[in-house]
Amino acid sequence: MTVSLSRVESRLKVTGGAVFAADNVATAYGYLVTSTIALGTVTAMDATAALAAPGVLAVYTPFNPLKLFGYGDNSTDETAPVLQDNGVRYNGQVIGMVVADTFEHARDAASLIAPTYDVKPGNVDFAAGVATATPTSSPVAEVLAPGVTSIDAALAASDVTVSAVYTTPHQHHNPMEPHAAVAVWTDDRLTLYTATQGVMNVVSHMARALGVDQSKVHVVNPYVGGAFGGKIGNWAHVPLAAAAARALGRPVKVALTREQTFAVSGHRPPSHQTVTLGAAKDGTLVAIKHEGVSGKSQSGPSMENVANQSLTTYASPNLHVTRAFVPLDVSAMTPMRAPGETHGAFALESAMDELAFKLGMDPLALRQKNYAVKVPNSGNPWSSKHLDECYTAGASAFGWDKRNPVPGSVRDGDWLVGLGTATATYPASRSKSTIKVRLQADGTAVVSGTGADLGTGQFTVFAILGAQALGIPAGSIVPELGDSSLPVATPAGGSTSTSSNGPAVLAAADAAKAALIAQAATNPASPFNGKTPTYANGMVSADGVSMSFGSLLTAMDLPAVEGTSSLPSGTTKGYGYLSFGAHFCEVRVNRWTGEPRVSRWLTVIDAGTIVNEKTARSQVLGAVVMGIGGALLEDSRVEPDTGRYAGANMAAYLVPVNADIPHVDVQFLNYPDTVFSPLGARGLGELGIVGVAGAVANAVHNATGKRVRDLPITLDKLL
Amino acid sequence: MAGSVSRRGFLGGAAAASVAGTVAWAPGRAWADPVPPARIRLSVNGKPYELDADPGVTLLDALRERIGLTGTKKGCDRGQCGACTVHVDGRRVVSCLTLAITCVGKNVTTIEGIADGDALHPVQQAFVDCDGFQCGFCTSGQIMSAVEVVSDRSVHTDDDIREAMSGNICRCGAYSNIVDAVKQARGEK
Repeated sequence: MTVSLSRVESRLKVTGGAVFAADNVATAYGYLVTSTIALGTVTAMDATAALAAPGVLAVYTPFNPLKLFGYGDNSTDETAPVLQDNGVRYNGQVIGMVVADTFEHARDAASLIAPTYDVKPGNVDFAAGVATATPTSSPVAEVLAPGVTSIDAALAASDVTVSAVYTTPHQHHNPMEPHAAVAVWTDDRLTLYTATQGVMNVVSHMARALGVDQSKVHVVNPYVGGAFGGKIGNWAHVPLAAAAARALGRPVKVALTREQTFAVSGHRPPSHQTVTLGAAKDGTLVAIKHEGVSGKSQSGPSMENVANQSLTTYASPNLHVTRAFVPLDVSAMTPMRAPGETHGAFALESAMDELAFKLGMDPLALRQKNYAVKVPNSGNPWSSKHLDECYTAGASAFGWDKRNPVPGSVRDGDWLVGLGTATATYPASRSKSTIKVRLQADGTAVVSGTGADLGTGQFTVFAILGAQALGIPAGSIVPELGDSSLPVATPAGGSTSTSSNGPAVLAAADAAKAALIAQAATNPASPFNGKTPTYANGMVSADGVSMSFGSLLTAMDLPAVEGTSSLPSGTTKGYGYLSFGAHFCEVRVNRWTGEPRVSRWLTVIDAGTIVNEKTARSQVLGAVVMGIGGALLEDSRVEPDTGRYAGANMAAYLVPVNADIPHVDVQFLNYPDTVFSPLGARGLGELGIVGVAGAVANAVHNATGKRVRDLPITLDKLL
Repeated sequence: MAGSVSRRGFLGGAAAASVAGTVAWAPGRAWADPVPPARIRLSVNGKPYELDADPGVTLLDALRERIGLTGTKKGCDRGQCGACTVHVDGRRVVSCLTLAITCVGKNVTTIEGIADGDALHPVQQAFVDCDGFQCGFCTSGQIMSAVEVVSDRSVHTDDDIREAMSGNICRCGAYSNIVDAVKQARGEK
């Protein structure tokens, strides 16, 4: 059964009524002061002028800090808490905050602070560090066929090999909502409205930072203006807003400027990848060697194991993957949509296309030839895999058979036209989730848990699954999330929201129905007292008598009955769990200017059960759009002398606009993965971006004969 | 701080010291005496508002932080993203680059002002029907732009719609659906 429901919070979002973090009211405004050097120390910050400026309430610096405890060890946060030392570890680091009665006063006073520095030379050049990259604690993953002595021996024994280096730049999430926090203290209790992918992560980390018990911290954030990984971390403005509000005894609002988000709120590290493929003459892969190097900030633990993508995508008897990083004096990195898979797939999918070209083979046929029937690096079966159908259905719908294999041979006026394809894969997993279903006397049911809806459709998933499990209309479900007072569900991250919370909604509905039936059979005021009632489609029945659960609760003089269910993390061992997809695209490159344009797109998705076709399609559509941005536009350059992101605004760091994007077609296979979970939904938020840049690069090659291995594929590389 | 020193005189001295001690690109500067607050009378969604604010206050910050209409969003504060789009006298503007005081005597319309009671504006309904958003943060601006685009007689093709809607960035990537929504609101779907 395919469900396609408009978002339950649609009306709020089209009328301006959805309250985002910065929409909450405060009586004081914080404005951040950030460093302008890459490495060194702040030697002085004269706050005299700022303190004397109109409306200023306080100026906090490393020399007059708000006390914060460390909270960032071994997490996606920055390692060092803000303002607790005078070290500068990257350009754009928060080194101060002015609080004033208005935003304008705080901003203007912040401009009066002129820090002085003791400057040290920073290491900000990723490319320069690749040759001496540091291996990770798990530097190699390898599978060798019996009798094969090394990956290089396997490659040497291959009929055909291709080998190339692929590079990708720093990328920034740029959710439309800049990070913001509004902190309100009532006595010793903090209410924090902050843009986050997981309210419980904020509770635990801010309780530590502020030195208070977790029970004193209430985090509220039902509407999140996009995140893509960048709102997992608790960036500097969050503890500063909370600590300043406590110190000043009034609510404080701190919103990052767009420019500040580039350095303050994490980003995707650059990568350098060498992919070497060995194959037999018929295209059968013999060996995949994928050497991955990622940037890694000195200020946080996050990096990307880009080469891992080659461990599970294509069948090959010999696999060799390496992981290393270049330590950089740039801002902290953090997961960004499909961290590792996105850049890894660009390299692997490009390499597969290069191999197909060298073999004189259709690139889709090469992928089908090396279809991984079992998990390549373990030999385990898949929980469910229909990627082959993604290939065939997509090829048919897209008209892949019309692709001319000779590069540069198709012209439409001034445009060279090419087609490209790539495989998408992304791991599926389940995290612990607790959900509550509350059946109420007014006939509605609340489905609640601390999860997040970043625009993913999680509200609507709660409503649809609650409605299905209870047999009542989705309009009778009140979904609640994004509030730390709710049962602890799975936050948004790793494409695990629906995969984890979805089955828990079903289980909690069963628990609520059981609680209702128990009440019905035993409550003296129940017409079913002493009988054995049953529940179906919102009605409780026994002996030919039926009542809606709302009427029954009213009769029993109960406001509600509740059921709560906790499902553990993890899945049945012995299987491989991935979601799959196939991208097909048409790219046009102008003969005279080299301008590349994506003109047609189809993605076919095998992600298990699709709970809501309407919002699921949008997730894939959006992931493809972000992938096209990465393929053609997004490129953050670090200024060598200062370590500054030179294009830290939306006019210089280009993300796709409407005119950059053609009609994008998305199809779902919708095979429930019942090995994965009773619901059978594997997760969708990240899958769609994986392989997009490869598909575009492959289409560009087909259009022009030019192989661009350095993202983004800009016109200067095609002239 | 000597209490007898005037703000202007004291700050002038502080600025000189601060410039001398600065090694980075951002020099300190004196705080010029602020412009006294101006009485700004605005008509927003047909209702009168009166506020006393620095004439440098943007229409966006006036709407959000002083009038309390937070449906209009701040995505970049420098006219690059379109999240703050509102109408002034029926034309779309980015409210972050519009000073509130320049709107005196004009009619400002925000996302809160286009529905007819409980009945959504046809563009709002089209965005719901076509899923023309995900997170909803750029949506107010998208809709305010689309309301003008729907009635723009120079917009004919899908590519025209894409071009006309390209001042409004949607990082969630709902662009195809936004084009569909504009077409629906134009009566083409």
